Amino acid sequence: MSEKQPFRIYEKPELQSSSLVVGWSEDAGKLGPKVIDYLNKKLGGKEFAEIEPADFFSLGGVSVEGDVAQFPESKFYWCQQKNLVVLQSYSPRSDWHRFLGAVLDVAELYCHVKELYTIGGMVSLSAHTAPRELLAVANSPAMKEVLSQYDIARDFDYETPPGQRPTLSSFLLWVAKMRNMAGASLWVPVPFYLVSTEDPQAWRITVEFLDQRFGLGIDFRDLDEEVARQNEKIAQVRIRFPEIDDYIRKLETNLGVTQEENEKLVKEIEEFLRKRD
Amino acid sequence: MGIRLYKKPEVENPVLIAGWPGIGNIGIIAVDTLRGMVRAEEFGEIESWDFFYPKKVSIRNGELKDLEFPSNKFYFVKTEKKDLIFFIGEEQPTEGGKVYAEGTKAYQMANLVLDLALKFGCRRVYTSGAAVAPIHHTARPKVWAVPNSQDLIDEIKSYENTVLMSDIEGRGGQGAITGLNGLLLGVAKKRGLEAICVMGEIPVYLQGFPLAYPKASKSVLEVLTVTLGIKIDMQGIAALVERSESEIERLFERFPPEIREELNKLIYVTYAESTESGPITDEDKKRILEDIDKFFKKESKED
Repeated sequence: MSEKQPFRIYEKPELQSSSLVVGWSEDAGKLGPKVIDYLNKKLGGKEFAEIEPADFFSLGGVSVEGDVAQFPESKFYWCQQKNLVVLQSYSPRSDWHRFLGAVLDVAELYCHVKELYTIGGMVSLSAHTAPRELLAVANSPAMKEVLSQYDIARDFDYETPPGQRPTLSSFLLWVAKMRNMAGASLWVPVPFYLVSTEDPQAWRITVEFLDQRFGLGIDFRDLDEEVARQNEKIAQVRIRFPEIDDYIRKLETNLGVTQEENEKLVKEIEEFLRKRD
Repeated sequence: MGIRLYKKPEVENPVLIAGWPGIGNIGIIAVDTLRGMVRAEEFGEIESWDFFYPKKVSIRNGELKDLEFPSNKFYFVKTEKKDLIFFIGEEQPTEGGKVYAEGTKAYQMANLVLDLALKFGCRRVYTSGAAVAPIHHTARPKVWAVPNSQDLIDEIKSYENTVLMSDIEGRGGQGAITGLNGLLLGVAKKRGLEAICVMGEIPVYLQGFPLAYPKASKSVLEVLTVTLGIKIDMQGIAALVERSESEIERLFERFPPEIREELNKLIYVTYAESTESGPITDEDKKRILEDIDKFFKKESKED
């Protein structure tokens, strides 16, 4: 195997003891890409490095999503004023450990990153109207102590169920732990019927934590408007389709829905939101 | 990326026996059963994180405690006749979503396994897997053996219930062994080690089901134990075969009657060492195999 570094650096950021926020491009409720784009826009993130895809992705053509050809990108941005580095990346398809090592090499060698945060949406069976709590997994007792200053759930136990695999965020958190880099993965519940579309409420909860943690001084009015717009759209679906309203009401009262109702809810909400976008 | 040894076993000219999961888990059941019966002791492992995606995360009280990867372990035992080293891999390293080992990672793993084998003076390697064959599930599976050197052909001919590729009708000694079972054979050849892959037969119509096929593992085990001069109690694997037979019979009963009827004709199909004609003609055999193929293609589309 070539020992050549699998990344390209365009410019060397001037950062010390910075933090890295990682969002994956394929994420529930488009949380990863939307939050990373939002941070870059608000903080003036400047692209400075990327991981070359050839070693980690199957490059036999491109996939097409939403009528547009996609290409696996892994790009780093830096925000000098806030001492922050952000990475938006597709999940590699092979050689995961080397890929994640490359992420941390860029972070440590070029940005002197001391803390890592991954963000992600997790599928929830609750309604979008239910209160949502940010969950965090730390990779060290010290990081857990840092998280204790914030209003987030951080005392749970979990083991990967049989037949499933850990998330890439857990893998990255473990690689960081092996390098003694403090890290946490942040998880926001995303209602199952918003997983394939967008969930601005989940984006807001994530950005809110990052704003508090890094003192970003974000004005949330635009995100609040987006949340309100989404809620209004779903309210319209509920008015137009009493059946859908009934299913969501069931979720709101913790009754749960059948598989058939679940599928119908997903289909109608996704179709309606796409049409109105 | 490397091998971690917990201890240095005192072995002399050991034979390496390697097993991975594959069709019907035939190879790994045979190798792991042998390892258990001879009470081989674990002495090292290949560090897995460079090859595999993790299989389990453990979070306690909100803190990531552990990430488990598929294991790749070495074991050793000194038997009366031979010293043995076992390598048991829980998964095959794959690239780009392929099922069996292929590419750089697979090549690296094959080399790591052989690095250890050579370090301890090993000159002979066995790998084990499945041979998909037009046989009926009530038949005793044969063992297909492929060596990595012409010099081993005569030895293989002396194995009981074993065929070479040239014994199999229509193959003319040709074929392919996918995944690490085949790759290890090739890399062993490149590095000057003798290697033989022993593959237990699985009926063509069972290969797509997520079922173990210990009956073929037993055939492999019978060959390996004789070759290695080891006597083991076969009761454990015989019980496993019995349980699996009932499961396969239940599955078979669920096939449509016309398909069962077609498949039952395989009882009379002889494809290996065809020195005499079976009770069905070559034309019948061809049609049976085509029908079976069509049926399972249709089934998989319906799933």
